[in-house]
Amino acid sequence: MTPAGAGICFDGVGVTYPNGVVGLRDVSLDIEPGEMVVVVGLSGAGKSTLVRSINSLVPFTSGEITVGDVAVSGLRGKALRRLRSEIGMVFQSFNLARRTTVLNNVLMGRLYAAPTWRTMLGLWPASDVELAMQSLERVEIVQKAYANASELSGGQQQRVAIARTLAQQPRVILADEPVASLDPPTSHVVMRDLQRINAELGITVVVNLHFLDLARRYGNRLIGLRAGEVVYDGPGADADEKVFESIYGRSLTAEDVLDTPARLT
Amino acid sequence: MSAAVSMSKPTEHPPPAQQRPVRPRTWWKAAAVLVVVAAVTVWSAIAVEVDFGALFRNAGNASRTIGQLLQPDYSYFPETVRPLLETLETAVISTAVAAVLSLPISFLASRATDPSTPLLVAVRFVMNVIRSIPDLLYASLFVTAVATGALSGILALVLFNIGILVKLVSEALDGLDRGGQEAALAAGSGWIKADRSAMLPEISPIYISQTIYVLELNIRASTVIGLVGAGGLGMLIDKVRTFYQYHYLSLVILEILVLVVVLEFVSSYARRKLVR
Ligand SMILES: Nc1ncnc2c1ncn2[C@@H]1O[C@H](COP(=O)(O)OP(=O)(O)O)[C@@H](O)[C@H]1O
Ligand SMILES: [Mg+2]
Repeated sequence: MTPAGAGICFDGVGVTYPNGVVGLRDVSLDIEPGEMVVVVGLSGAGKSTLVRSINSLVPFTSGEITVGDVAVSGLRGKALRRLRSEIGMVFQSFNLARRTTVLNNVLMGRLYAAPTWRTMLGLWPASDVELAMQSLERVEIVQKAYANASELSGGQQQRVAIARTLAQQPRVILADEPVASLDPPTSHVVMRDLQRINAELGITVVVNLHFLDLARRYGNRLIGLRAGEVVYDGPGADADEKVFESIYGRSLTAEDVLDTPARLT
Repeated sequence: MSAAVSMSKPTEHPPPAQQRPVRPRTWWKAAAVLVVVAAVTVWSAIAVEVDFGALFRNAGNASRTIGQLLQPDYSYFPETVRPLLETLETAVISTAVAAVLSLPISFLASRATDPSTPLLVAVRFVMNVIRSIPDLLYASLFVTAVATGALSGILALVLFNIGILVKLVSEALDGLDRGGQEAALAAGSGWIKADRSAMLPEISPIYISQTIYVLELNIRASTVIGLVGAGGLGMLIDKVRTFYQYHYLSLVILEILVLVVVLEFVSSYARRKLVR
């Protein structure tokens, strides 16, 4: 029943923040429906700006972004909310409401479709609850459905956040450094969840990552950003040390990898 | 995997030369505030012409009054039951009505939950006006405009409470973590639905706790506003005081004391249970 993934097209996109800082500079990209793309770059390179412009959390100031067959520029009100309802978003800091249940958090993925009066009374349709439960099952955390979000570990919270996007039945999932607050083993669990969702449901996935070993491992396609510009676009497996040094604009350090050699031996 | 490991050889950089910052000097700010506060206090005392001598000149009078106050007349108790209940009812009803009205207004008065600047400014302006009028003034206004008795007391307390509750709750909303709300908005929710599902659960312990605090305030306040004719124990106090019946007065004061202490216990217990 889930609609197939949507393609994302950047056509000469630029983002200049109100304070004059340039976030993106003339970015042109074609992301195919059902593709999984990893975006890497130093802190401040424009990774967040890139993914946030796709659902217009950050408005772009030039060019055009097309999601599926919808042009994003100029969308407002209901039309913008409709687009956002088809794009799930996963955040570095999980962004759960901590004092309510896991189930209620996942149901927030249904807010676009839910009538206001039902939301006010907290009366969710049984079909939405069922969808939320299935989403929790897909990330294998359904047993926590009635626990408070604050009782969960970081990795569990991030999987709940992924379930929340699944409850949207999205065509695209955007993940902005989803593992930056997690330890290495948990990072792999979350990345594998995203990979599986991409493969099984055909949802287009765009993930920002900071660590180059994660990026190579999970990025079928890797996009390197530097100072708001695309400086690499190709298979993750082809990205060697030289490529990363050109993306980062400096030689590599221990901070650039998640799994240090000591951990792996 | 092995490729990633081989290319991840850490390159050590020597730490850059560091310079410790000079500790900023801030004591003079504290000193300046202290001087201003002291000056304002002294100036206020002079301006309102505090006459400490009166304390001693009227000492004889006071000791007689205190003597009577120390011997409450318990036989008067039956007469106080009705006003006592009226005070309690006034406090409870006002708290309930104000709590219901304050919740949506608080969401409109916080920048974290209200995206419309004109609406925000308008709501905050009205709330500032409401809060600038003291409860006693509300009470006397309603006693004049409506009638003597409990209804005026309730109306006065409701306005007084809305002023307090909206201020406390909307400021708490400003300080909340907005992650859940951001996620809801990113998923295509409108603001009302996002606020309801992501912000209300986060604010509710604070809201409940402040509502209990307001109930406590109301027990005290409902006796005071009774003095201007808004019903309850306050009206009784006014009556016995006018006739210098200090034995009765001390019983009423004792009852208020018991009421406040009991409520204090109940509310701190409830708060501990509700707010974890
Ligand atoms: N809201 C904002 N206002 C102004 N400048 C911003 C804002 N958000 C990000 N920037 C700037 O835009 C650039 C790109 O930031 P960002 O997209 O957050 O990078 P990344 O996610 O790769 O760390 C940085 O220089 C950052 O300081
Ligand atoms: Mg970022």
